[in-house]
Amino acid sequence: MRRIGIGRTGAWVTWRRTALVGLAFGAGALHLAAVGVLLMLHQRWIVIDTLSLGQATVLLLAAGAGAMAARGDGSRWLQGALGGVCAVLPLALLSRAMDALTLQPIFIALSPDLQAMLTLGLPPAAATPALLALGAVAGLVGAGLRAAPRLSRALLPGAVAVLVAGVFQELIQLMLQQYEGPIGAVRDFVYTWEGLTQEGAITVFLVVTLLAQLFGRATQGRVAAMEPARRRQIWAGIALAVIVVLPAVAGSYIGQVLMLVGLYILMGIGLNLEVGLAGLLDLGFVAFFAVGAYTTALLTADAPNALMHLPYWAAMPVSVLLAVCVGVLFGLPVLGVRGDYLAVATMGLGEIVRVIVLSDFGAPLLGGAQGVLHIPKPQLGSYTLSSPVALFYLTLVAAAIAAFIAWRLENSRLGRAWMALRDDEDVAQALGINLVRSKLLAYGLGAAFAGLAGSIFATMLSSVYPSSFQLLISINVLALIIVGGMGSLPGVILGSVVLIGLPELLREFGEYRYLFYGAVLVVMMRLRPEGLWPSDVRQRELHAGDETAALDAGADLLPARE
Amino acid sequence: MSGAQLARSRPRVTIGRVSPVEIVLWSLRILVLFVVFAGTIGAIVKDRYTAAQWFDFVMFGLTIGAIYAQIALGYTMVYGVLRLINFAHGDIVMCGAFAGYFVASPLDRSGFLTQHPVMGMTAILAVAIVTSTVIALLTERIAYRPFRRVSGSGPLIAAIGVSFFLEQTFRGMFGSSVKSYPEPSWQRSTFGVWGFNVPRIDVLVIGLAIIFMAGLYLIVQRTKMGTAMRAVAEDAEAAALMGIDVDKVVVFTFTLGGAMAGIAGVFYAFVYKQVYFFMGFTPGIKAFGAAVLGGIGSIPGAMVGGVFLGLVESVGPSLFLDGLGIPAPYQLRDLIAFTLLIMVLIFRPNGIFGERMAKQRA
Amino acid sequence: MKTPTRSRTPEGMTRSRTPEGMTRSRTLRRILLASTLATTVLAIGRPAPSSAAQTLGPVTDEIGVIRIPKNAPIQIGGMWVLSGPDTALGLDEKRGVELAFKTVGGKLLGHPLKLNAEDDQCNAEGGQTAATKLAANPQTVIVLGPACSSVATPAAPILWQAGIVDIGTACTAPALTAPNRGPQYAGFVRTVFSDSEQGKADATYAREGLKAATVVTVHDGSPYAQQLQQVMADNFTRLGGKVLSQEAVSPNDVDMHPLLTKIASEKPDLIYFPLFTAAAAQVLRQAKETPGLEKTVLLGGGSLASAAFIEAAGPSVVGFRIGYPDVSADAMGKDYPKFVAEYKKAYNEGPISGYHANAYDGAILAMKAIEKVAKTDSAGNLYVGRKALRDAVFEITFDGISGPIACDANGQCAQFKPSVLEFTSADPKTYDLGKNPKKIWPK
Repeated sequence: MRRIGIGRTGAWVTWRRTALVGLAFGAGALHLAAVGVLLMLHQRWIVIDTLSLGQATVLLLAAGAGAMAARGDGSRWLQGALGGVCAVLPLALLSRAMDALTLQPIFIALSPDLQAMLTLGLPPAAATPALLALGAVAGLVGAGLRAAPRLSRALLPGAVAVLVAGVFQELIQLMLQQYEGPIGAVRDFVYTWEGLTQEGAITVFLVVTLLAQLFGRATQGRVAAMEPARRRQIWAGIALAVIVVLPAVAGSYIGQVLMLVGLYILMGIGLNLEVGLAGLLDLGFVAFFAVGAYTTALLTADAPNALMHLPYWAAMPVSVLLAVCVGVLFGLPVLGVRGDYLAVATMGLGEIVRVIVLSDFGAPLLGGAQGVLHIPKPQLGSYTLSSPVALFYLTLVAAAIAAFIAWRLENSRLGRAWMALRDDEDVAQALGINLVRSKLLAYGLGAAFAGLAGSIFATMLSSVYPSSFQLLISINVLALIIVGGMGSLPGVILGSVVLIGLPELLREFGEYRYLFYGAVLVVMMRLRPEGLWPSDVRQRELHAGDETAALDAGADLLPARE
Repeated sequence: MSGAQLARSRPRVTIGRVSPVEIVLWSLRILVLFVVFAGTIGAIVKDRYTAAQWFDFVMFGLTIGAIYAQIALGYTMVYGVLRLINFAHGDIVMCGAFAGYFVASPLDRSGFLTQHPVMGMTAILAVAIVTSTVIALLTERIAYRPFRRVSGSGPLIAAIGVSFFLEQTFRGMFGSSVKSYPEPSWQRSTFGVWGFNVPRIDVLVIGLAIIFMAGLYLIVQRTKMGTAMRAVAEDAEAAALMGIDVDKVVVFTFTLGGAMAGIAGVFYAFVYKQVYFFMGFTPGIKAFGAAVLGGIGSIPGAMVGGVFLGLVESVGPSLFLDGLGIPAPYQLRDLIAFTLLIMVLIFRPNGIFGERMAKQRA
Repeated sequence: MKTPTRSRTPEGMTRSRTPEGMTRSRTLRRILLASTLATTVLAIGRPAPSSAAQTLGPVTDEIGVIRIPKNAPIQIGGMWVLSGPDTALGLDEKRGVELAFKTVGGKLLGHPLKLNAEDDQCNAEGGQTAATKLAANPQTVIVLGPACSSVATPAAPILWQAGIVDIGTACTAPALTAPNRGPQYAGFVRTVFSDSEQGKADATYAREGLKAATVVTVHDGSPYAQQLQQVMADNFTRLGGKVLSQEAVSPNDVDMHPLLTKIASEKPDLIYFPLFTAAAAQVLRQAKETPGLEKTVLLGGGSLASAAFIEAAGPSVVGFRIGYPDVSADAMGKDYPKFVAEYKKAYNEGPISGYHANAYDGAILAMKAIEKVAKTDSAGNLYVGRKALRDAVFEITFDGISGPIACDANGQCAQFKPSVLEFTSADPKTYDLGKNPKKIWPK
């Protein structure tokens, strides 16, 4: 790239590139403004009366543009500034357009409040230059940070800590509010009710920066010295420990969120057997979840349409068993269907189950729209597992058992048969693998885990409604195993935490949940198509694929390898 | 599964030796056929509907079927060329409908749409087509192009991501309220054919859909670009070796699909009179089913599949379920549609027109 | 971009073939052991959740006391549907609560009022998470909402287990305040009427006002619509009418023509469809195009009293009727017109849905109850006893803007006055409860 910047036309190319990078960031900012995200973020303080989340977003975008645009050379600073200016230019133009026209009747997010944010409370004539100047400064900072990597590495932890403390403030405050005494005093110092205090923000920044300086380098050296596999193990251990400990410390809300994550982990493990190992693309997975939930409901509930009033522990195995049966029954008709056709066929089966559960036709048995109510909580001796934290540990145990079974299956004869099936059905059959049996077992075992998840789900809610069993659940489960990394158990956990846990923790931005969800899916698939934590086998396969596909145009977009 | 693998795979798995499976499959077939026949006989015996009402059922089915068919074309062409289930296609339909709304609504208020229906409709369609095409191309460039040649389900997930992103972007920009499409007076009129009342908008939609689809078919069959497209669909690597610019073909495919989606969006909105951000999802899923029904990758298959699905959805509940005395049959409309889909896949795993294509490729 | 290598080394390859647990187990076991220990310690050390007798400052209470430090806000929870297609329903109620807070200047007993509004997505799991979050905050004094009964069913017990009273603002399922509702709902009251009242009123109107002999009902599979049409159908039969059939659609169905053609073949006098906005607008528009339904009267439900519905239904909305509690000036509290004026001033539009007044009254009820039981110590801290607050909510009576508020023993606080409204204009801007739609029954 550097050679371009020499000639006169070369210089023009460089500057055009700088402007385009800046404008790309600007387009992102414009999109955020147009859909209303920017204003929503602006209404939240990071540091009270000083910096709103929306302002921070714009500044970060400008700084990012500056950093991306600054490409070495002598004119690095100018490039950074230009990048920053270009990143806020669309917002500035938008602000002028809002002055001239009334856009709100069509674009509902372009409200006077947004205008007030973009003009920084200044009169229009002064506002545009001010905004552009801010963009330039942010761009310069970005360029500077890129030019001095050591400095930026030193500042980064502190800045990230302040940002995290600001973004997750509601959650952190909720956790801290149950404590009085010294923890309460720290809370009062760092937080007001609406955001960080100024002195709190400075303190957090300084403390984290200092800690990072003190301990960071030493740990970093040690971590770098470790072999990658071991590093991953340690990360897995830490993550697991956090999941195990956190609900007990942080209280029922975190417990509830992690419980949902746990249910998705359970389902993810099940679907992973089908999709990850056996290569059977399934978009109707929610059906097994529904079967598990409704079986438990009908066997235990204190409702007129309940069949029996069993204790939970008796109903759970029945639910799992019934889910297995339904899984096999599902598998039968689609045995001969392959690939993407299979995705559609299973989606159809899933929808059929949902429609039946909802319908007036099935209502005498299943409760129809009114669902089944009064499902008891599980009893352990005289202790009732009623709190979200207790139920979370139940889910955790279930997930641990499921993970163990899945791990054993993976290395078993059956697991290898599945993998052969995934790679090439015809060859697998030629090798003497019983296709029918292997496929049906994949459906049945996958369904078992979903049935178990459904059973816990029913007792968690104490009621089941048909509206809980949408296609979206199937999509979520599929997305999480692919984002996590196909065929990989830690991948399933990571995928659930990222795709299910994070949105639940950031519920206050819930309105835009699926906007971010969609963006994350696209970005993830671009940057890491093999998933966050791919299985070793899968990893090798993808990269073996690379070597043959390396001649193709698309190969350079896979993550670079060493 | 990569495209090459899929093309190689034979449609049928030989499971003849395992008798229990066969028994289950046959009993399933017999059950469905029994429901269909018993229901039909029941409906005929009950004699609840007049001939005019049966005619109406068919008309409604043809109208929604024509729209499904147009949407299904976008799925099927993209699948043929890229082996990608473009999950966001339904939302591109929504984009077209929205763009059309912002033209149609002021045109209607000023009275232009009533006085100059042809010019008005042309303007609305043009804006919708341009919007849908531009968004389809942007989607391809940003989200799908990086996945060329990447195997696995990554592209499908990216497409699902695009779908959510488009829906939520439109929701954020234009709000979550349901907007009502204008209803100029000429739309509401009906005319009589052999004693049946035919709504003019239905005829317009079906007629225009046939014209547009025929045009599309000619483009794909006759033009140079269309030939290149078919070549890439057969074997992308060989086509590239023959000097075909695959990127250009993909862009061309998305242009055609986007344009059809824009048209379908406007028709859909004119018949059902509502636009909102989630409107593309359900017809998208149904049209996807229609594409599979007809044999995904096959253009005539998509058309036949769409119309067939529309008809079954409209006539089915009254014909099969009502006759059996099942309560609230129209709640089970999706059940019929998906059962049909699965039955087709059991009998013909590659869809109605699919096997022929697969044979050609092998 | 540089990514860390993952098992590309020969060791990595061989390891993946051997059982991985062998090498991983030691580190893992250590971490797990430590975390288990930590869990136990922390779980024991954690303050017990508040639903045991407690004395704090000047207040002793059977199930717990909330201490609000000087200058700290009084935190009031809220849960409504704030995303998705039914946003208007929840947002309208949230605004009602905000306006109620405004009447006292956003301050109560010297403490600012803070509304922690959660989105419950109008489904059971969303409601459970929202309720758990609100219950996890020990500073939550009382909760307002939800709008949907499927949310209230799991949410109210969670809140009451934490000792928090929940005032429902639009959840109308009869079971929530039925005499047999169970002790876990003891903390739930609502300032909105029950569906059993609404369904009965609609049936009465159909028989007496319209003189309809036959009816077909349509629901969309939502608990609300299914229940309401069932109650209406039962009462219609009881009053001597005939229910020809009870139909259903999916909430996102657009093609209602076949269903309406089927209904037309039954020739009913009335179609009753208490659906939500999108589906109801489709039924309404397409019914006008269906031959055989020219003389059939269409009657909708209370969830359609919104500007959004007028926008969705277009011109065919004129003359359309819905069953709704009486909101005419003489039936509503005398302050209702003033409230509407305030609403317009604050949000630049008239009320966007039908339950703002119930939410407003719910908030007033909550504030009155807090005022009644809260005690301040010498340092300016505020103390609220949870059981005392619950009892106060059941005792307080006042004239709300939606009518008189007085809770019975099962938590039913609002009284129901039936009416039928008719839309008079297709312009969403003219939406104004009482004018468009205007009251046509009882005369």
